[in-house]
Amino acid sequence: MITADTIVVGAGIIGNAIAYYLAKKGQKVIVLEKSDNIGDGGSSRNGGGVRQSGRDPRELPLAMYGIKNLWPYLSEELGTEVEYYKKGNLRLGKTEKHKEILTGLTNRAVACGLDVRMIDAYEVRQINPFLSEEVSCASWCETDGHANPLLATLAYYKAARRLGVRFITGEEVLSLKKLRGRLRQVITAHDIYEADNIVLANGIAARDLAAYVGIDIPMSSALLECLVTEAEPRMFEQMLGTAEADFYGHQSKHGSFVIGGSSGLEAVNKDNGTPINSSITAACIARGIIKYIPKLSHAKIVRTWAGWMDRMVDGVPVIDKVDEVEGLYLACGFSGHGFGIAPAVGLNMANLVLGENLTCDISGLAYNRFAAKA
Amino acid sequence: MHELVDRSLKDEEFEEREDDDMLICRCEEITKGEIRRAVHDGMYTMAEIRRYLRCTMGLCQGQTCAKLVKGIVAKELGVSPDKLEPATSRSPMRPTEMYIIANEEK
Amino acid sequence: MERYDLIVIGAGPSGLSAGIEAAKAGASVIIFDENEKPGGQLFKQIHKFFGSKEHRAKVRGFNIGYQLLKEADEAGAKVELLATVLGIYQDKEVVVKIKDGIKHYKADSIIVATGAAENMVPFKGWTLPGVIGAGAAQTMLNLHGILPGKKVLMLGSGNVGLVVSYQLKQCGCDVVALVDAAPRIGGYGVHAAKISRMGIPFYLPYTIKKVEGTDHVTGVTIAKLDPSFKFIEGTEMHFDVDTVCVAVGLSPMSQLLKMAGCKMEDNPRKGGQVPIIDEHGQTSIPGIFAAGDVSGIEEASSAMIEGRQAGIYAANYLGYIEDELMKEKEDELDKALDGLRQGMFAPSNRGKKIEKTEEGIDISNNLLAKGFVADEEIERFPGVVHKLGIHPVMECTQNIPCNPCQDACPKKCIKIGSKITSLPAVDESVDCIGCGMCVASCPGQAIFLVNENVGEGMAEITLPYEIYPLPEVGEKGIALSRAGHPLCIAEVIKVRTGLAFDKTAVLTIRVPKEFAMKARFYKNEKLAKSV
Repeated sequence: MITADTIVVGAGIIGNAIAYYLAKKGQKVIVLEKSDNIGDGGSSRNGGGVRQSGRDPRELPLAMYGIKNLWPYLSEELGTEVEYYKKGNLRLGKTEKHKEILTGLTNRAVACGLDVRMIDAYEVRQINPFLSEEVSCASWCETDGHANPLLATLAYYKAARRLGVRFITGEEVLSLKKLRGRLRQVITAHDIYEADNIVLANGIAARDLAAYVGIDIPMSSALLECLVTEAEPRMFEQMLGTAEADFYGHQSKHGSFVIGGSSGLEAVNKDNGTPINSSITAACIARGIIKYIPKLSHAKIVRTWAGWMDRMVDGVPVIDKVDEVEGLYLACGFSGHGFGIAPAVGLNMANLVLGENLTCDISGLAYNRFAAKA
Repeated sequence: MHELVDRSLKDEEFEEREDDDMLICRCEEITKGEIRRAVHDGMYTMAEIRRYLRCTMGLCQGQTCAKLVKGIVAKELGVSPDKLEPATSRSPMRPTEMYIIANEEK
Repeated sequence: MERYDLIVIGAGPSGLSAGIEAAKAGASVIIFDENEKPGGQLFKQIHKFFGSKEHRAKVRGFNIGYQLLKEADEAGAKVELLATVLGIYQDKEVVVKIKDGIKHYKADSIIVATGAAENMVPFKGWTLPGVIGAGAAQTMLNLHGILPGKKVLMLGSGNVGLVVSYQLKQCGCDVVALVDAAPRIGGYGVHAAKISRMGIPFYLPYTIKKVEGTDHVTGVTIAKLDPSFKFIEGTEMHFDVDTVCVAVGLSPMSQLLKMAGCKMEDNPRKGGQVPIIDEHGQTSIPGIFAAGDVSGIEEASSAMIEGRQAGIYAANYLGYIEDELMKEKEDELDKALDGLRQGMFAPSNRGKKIEKTEEGIDISNNLLAKGFVADEEIERFPGVVHKLGIHPVMECTQNIPCNPCQDACPKKCIKIGSKITSLPAVDESVDCIGCGMCVASCPGQAIFLVNENVGEGMAEITLPYEIYPLPEVGEKGIALSRAGHPLCIAEVIKVRTGLAFDKTAVLTIRVPKEFAMKARFYKNEKLAKSV
């Protein structure tokens, strides 16, 4: 038996960040990861967006807090360059319908206090001259940006490890066990781990684990795909998205473009047990990109990848202390937009575990919010 | 090789070597010293090394350096190179222009 | 979507062979290759292949390529060139880049025969322009007609390093040294002997300490290694070179199989990451097969047989061949493959030090360490005899699977027997007619015809010669020893270039008779200048 103050299940960026902030406050933490690699799930398979615009109001406080207080100092705090760019987010539109969608999103964000506004075609091209003539409007949030998810995930790992967090990879959690009415044990193929607090930050797999203590998290998975180009000369620094969310991406510090998109078949994409790309999505994303950024048509694609997202039924995660099961904490179901809020989630989850005040209102992300329609 | 690995911090200083400045991954210009230091920093697998340093992810897709990187990582970890799982292979097998991928015939 | 019974990826020796067999059985077959020319490595292999007559021994690699292409065409297998397979997806879907677009194909079976890529080894200066793979040098020479450089140092004494050194020399490059970190030459002794007698020195166990130059290679320093692979101080040697060729092995290009989801293993004996395959070459995904170097590094001859087997298995999987017929063909090919996997260089002997031949004769240690059989060692081998008049002297001293010489002799005076790896012996009861067929047929260029006494204190030696321009009858040059050292003046008596010799000239030189068993190469004035 191995004991700790807190056990975090899942060494993605969420789990790593939680472990880091807990260890920083002096806790003894163990992180258990089923995969051989740190950050094998969505943490290494996302577009790197660090944005507030376009977010559900329930998770917006986390996004805003992180961008104001955590992301700008993260490289320094963690001792690893995470390639954070706070150069704005353009959400592009081509049609009247797009404009309507974008205006709606913008109005809701403004109501939450976010500095975002609609801009016209002229201003769009002032900000990004590489965009095609087809782009007729955009929502523009100057304080949004992007970072390198691979590095940010490993930076939290590295820093947490330095603080004494014990990461164990290749250790799949098989079940959870309560002792005398309180969740205390995590059972793996190799060992039994025991702690006062158990945080499930393992994406879609959290659903099966939580079931051992009678909690259901209504999420499913979808296989999303991205492509990466060779390094290109520096073109622009904003994060890009579209009204229809059919493509999103940015140019990394290294020069490569990391761009995600959809074929429309994500929810039913078949896999072979690993997150394998479909044969049709890369072509579809490439067509989308060329329409928005014609100059990239000769950029070489060096890699495509796919990753499962843990898609919550209402599109935002559960970040909560489970009152019904003492000792259980949940941080899962990020629905494809967890990266940007990961630092704030890590900090607040640590505070939640420690019983300290939260920096953000996350009451909209409670585990018990799900109900049948009225 | 799927196995349990405890990543706890090892109580040893990073030791610089004379040939640390030797380039290993030519596409991404990563040196032997950077790879060694990454292992020291806890990057124990080929997947982590490449996510951390980008080596083996350039235009040659690791054709030239993947074996070399693996050798260095294995040596740092004190294991045989064949115990390290190679990183995933991803389409396209050859870097391909976006307009070509976009031009699809079913 | 365009569909075939079988998609073969890679039109090299194994891919073409696989496609031919499956198409012959009736399957619809398409073979994709990313190159402009099919044949994989075959079209840059200008040397004659080892092996048995039944499996194209003594035929030059590129001619095997032409033969295979013709067979593929006759069998109805479609070969699609400049067609790069970008990925294998689920349901055996293959996405191929053709011209300015991509095309989707599906098949009921896929054979992956993508071959291998060259390994590299890092040393100080290894990224300087001028440090290239030996295979790349071979591509430049034999496919594009470009010299990679003028003065070359070769690292690696496997067959690739040896063969490419020979070809560089044929093209007029000065190969200043052949270096290997191992204490023994890795490739066939006959390949080593071929370049040794041309004057290329071997340095073992040495390796490159640094390559010098600012924007391109201008020199290289090597140094000797101790048994723990550390440089021995004071053993450094410098060479002025403009090119360093690296021939340190191959790695399977198995990425497509991994991407497809096939179970893989990292197997150092097979050269790296390879698919786990059953006895039929089938991967963990039913209907996806692997053949040739992609499933483990071997010679092209083995790749061709493996390819044929994969084609037959795929045809069986597709229902074109009954189990019984498959078994029959399989047994026949297994036997051939077993034959090729025998001898000193068999995969099972990799890394082992062999002390004696199958005949119980001590191996030539000088050959392993320096690249040539010493004068005092050569007499103990069965191909070396002395008799009156002209007779063959076969300096074939290692058990390798090869037997074209046995059939080359119209008088049947060369005996190998049923075991393909046996050393050739001379049947002294039969008289040699000096036709030179055996000399030209030996892929290892290890057969000489010697007349130890032609009168007036002179002897005549007939030897294989592939340096152009050929010497002229009557000219005088220098006879070289097995080590490539000048021995004496030699006069060219005969230069024969029959069609049957397939571009290996058969040269007869006259030397003083004390050099009859020592002179093994001829250097004419032109060559003398280049060396």
